[in-house]
Amino acid sequence: MKTLAFAGALMGSLLAATALTPVQAADMTHERALAAGKEPNNWLLHHGNYEGWRFSQLKQINTDTVKNLKVAFTVALGGFESGGRYKFGNLEGTPIVEDGVIYVTDGWGSVYAIDASTGKKGVIKWKFDPGTDRAWAGDVACCGVNNRGVALWKDKVISIALDGRLFSLNKATGEMVWELKVADPTIAETITLAPLVIRDLAIVGSAGGEFGIRGWIDATDLNTGKQVWRTYTIPGAGEPGNETWKDGKERWKHGGASVWETATYDPESDTFYQGIGNAGPDWDPEYRPGDNKWAASVLALSPNDGKIKWGYQYTPNDPYDFDEISEHPLINAKVNGEDRKLVVHAARNGFFYALDRTNGSFILGKQYVDELNWTPGLDPKTGRPLNYNPNADVQEYAPGSHSSRANPKGERLCPSHFGGKNWQPSAYNPELKLLYIPSVEGCNSVETVEQKDFVDQGGPINPRERFAGGAQKTTQRLYGSLKAVDPTTGEIKARLKLDYPNYSGALATAGNLVFLGHADGSLTAHDANTLQEVWSFNAGTGINAPPISFAVDGKQYIAVLVGSRQSPFVTGLAPELKNTSTASMLYVFGL
Amino acid sequence: MTAARLAIGITALVALGWIFAAPAHAQTPSAEDLRAIDFGKEIYKVKANCQFCHKWDASGDTGYGGIALSLRNSALTREQFIEVVKCGRPFTGMPYHDRFSYTDKRCYGMTLDELGKDAPPMGEFLSAREIDAVVKYLFAKVVGHGPATYEDCVEFWGQNTRQCEPMKK
Repeated sequence: MKTLAFAGALMGSLLAATALTPVQAADMTHERALAAGKEPNNWLLHHGNYEGWRFSQLKQINTDTVKNLKVAFTVALGGFESGGRYKFGNLEGTPIVEDGVIYVTDGWGSVYAIDASTGKKGVIKWKFDPGTDRAWAGDVACCGVNNRGVALWKDKVISIALDGRLFSLNKATGEMVWELKVADPTIAETITLAPLVIRDLAIVGSAGGEFGIRGWIDATDLNTGKQVWRTYTIPGAGEPGNETWKDGKERWKHGGASVWETATYDPESDTFYQGIGNAGPDWDPEYRPGDNKWAASVLALSPNDGKIKWGYQYTPNDPYDFDEISEHPLINAKVNGEDRKLVVHAARNGFFYALDRTNGSFILGKQYVDELNWTPGLDPKTGRPLNYNPNADVQEYAPGSHSSRANPKGERLCPSHFGGKNWQPSAYNPELKLLYIPSVEGCNSVETVEQKDFVDQGGPINPRERFAGGAQKTTQRLYGSLKAVDPTTGEIKARLKLDYPNYSGALATAGNLVFLGHADGSLTAHDANTLQEVWSFNAGTGINAPPISFAVDGKQYIAVLVGSRQSPFVTGLAPELKNTSTASMLYVFGL
Repeated sequence: MTAARLAIGITALVALGWIFAAPAHAQTPSAEDLRAIDFGKEIYKVKANCQFCHKWDASGDTGYGGIALSLRNSALTREQFIEVVKCGRPFTGMPYHDRFSYTDKRCYGMTLDELGKDAPPMGEFLSAREIDAVVKYLFAKVVGHGPATYEDCVEFWGQNTRQCEPMKK
């Protein structure tokens, strides 16, 4: 009883203290990360949960109330400065929210801690600017100045910068505790993904597949700021898979297979699932005969030591740039009456895949894009493209869908090399059992320019020089779509055509809504069953980042980063967007 | 101009682009020219973002920006450069930068409708003064200058970056 009395007194004093002092966020632990769904007021992990669902259990904003959704407040950010090849920095980040504080990043790696606890305004508590060398990093970024967000660990915020550094920041003050150079722009390595924190490890990977890197995944001990392991995504000499690089000239050393979106994680088997990028050079597959593992693949890895448990390759000897870095949601479901543990993926190559995540075996695959011409379909047993030739070192696939040295101008590729679904994340509603796939629709063509060798392999190409083996050509306007797919069959249950290719990503909520940003500045909400638009707001400049949801004092909000780079790949073929200007803003909406 | 004449014109332009030009004879630029060259550099680097496809040193590139030619060994005249910047190059990824190109017959006698899918993409819109400046910059620093040097790199990017280190002898 004495103990109880003491506990009561302690509680009383704690409550009194709480009333007088600002609420301090609790440490972010592994247990909280595993149970992220039990804290619907917070958005603690990049994809909402380790399973990669981007699903909020909040339902105050729902199909009935969404008509009253309006701007609660906005916050102007920075980071749209030019640098390297880019006119503007970009915003592709997913906000992290804990106890009313929103943590966002801009493309150059500045982290902003924004106090949103009043629900009336966002006050920037602190800003950490890593002082990124913009020319150096920006000149070897293939696709924009990007930073997809932070992670929380204990009382720290873990962030990255494009120039390859990883940072541990004091969550309360923004003071840097340590920084570690992980990727090296000297050899065209950059980092754009939000770190995945598992226990005390921060897992990141290197972008640079268009500049002759050899991709890797890397883990840092957050207690010490020291590297724990690095696993190359292209197996080295003597390792299984290296034999799929048949050139005999060690071209695997510059074979791409980059990593630039956050993995999903299954705590039950202690495995994370990392999407892997295209082989390099992108459009000269004759330079790299063989299947080129593990480019255009998913890898299942152990977080403690980085060991590869299994891999599955989507597009062997990829001649298209079908980069498969994007998220791989984990779903447990009955398939044909049998309980299965799935890892699913809306691939850039235009197919939806469901694999058995315990062993990487193929379960099902189905086209989800409107038009697909590079293969007639997938082998129902293996998931290999039907026109894959196991006896060929350089795959033909469908004639005209890609280019070659003999026919350097490809005719027509559908989906375009942009995808399908590019990096922009899908969302999964576990109540309706539907996966929402935002994608790019339409066709373009690719061209081959015979790739010259790197200097370390006797050629003229220096590190940091382009290593693409050709180019893309887009002359027809692309459009976008949102599709609701049953992950146990791949069937499309609802579809919606969008005016613009989607590069924002989706949020699903228990309010039976799906939120999506658009290149014309619209943020829209859709009925989760029909995908019919039920609400929209236009911010007047493009949205390239995924929305999230959180709550403070019992009130639900939707937050999204708005603005920055207006991609010439979108605006160049959409005259009505030509004069839109850039911005760098956080928008927060509430009822 | 008919489509056939346009095709001949474009072919000639392409052919010219591949012939190595003799280095331009340098003249001492006036203060006004120096301002224009600097203004033109910013347009090349940032506003029109020419470097995204052509690289900072205008030596040409491949990749997402398309197959962009080297401007360093171009044999086009200033007038031809101005025309290509204004009108872009039909059938290729080189964008047009005069807002009114192809709205009337000012570019190769063609409109956007007549060119259809062969029309060049729409680039950042530039004024005549800006186009003149970017061409002045190219002729002052790039066209006929041979491969870029470490000094060229520092001049382009400044001192506060590691960007030029690999070029240091």
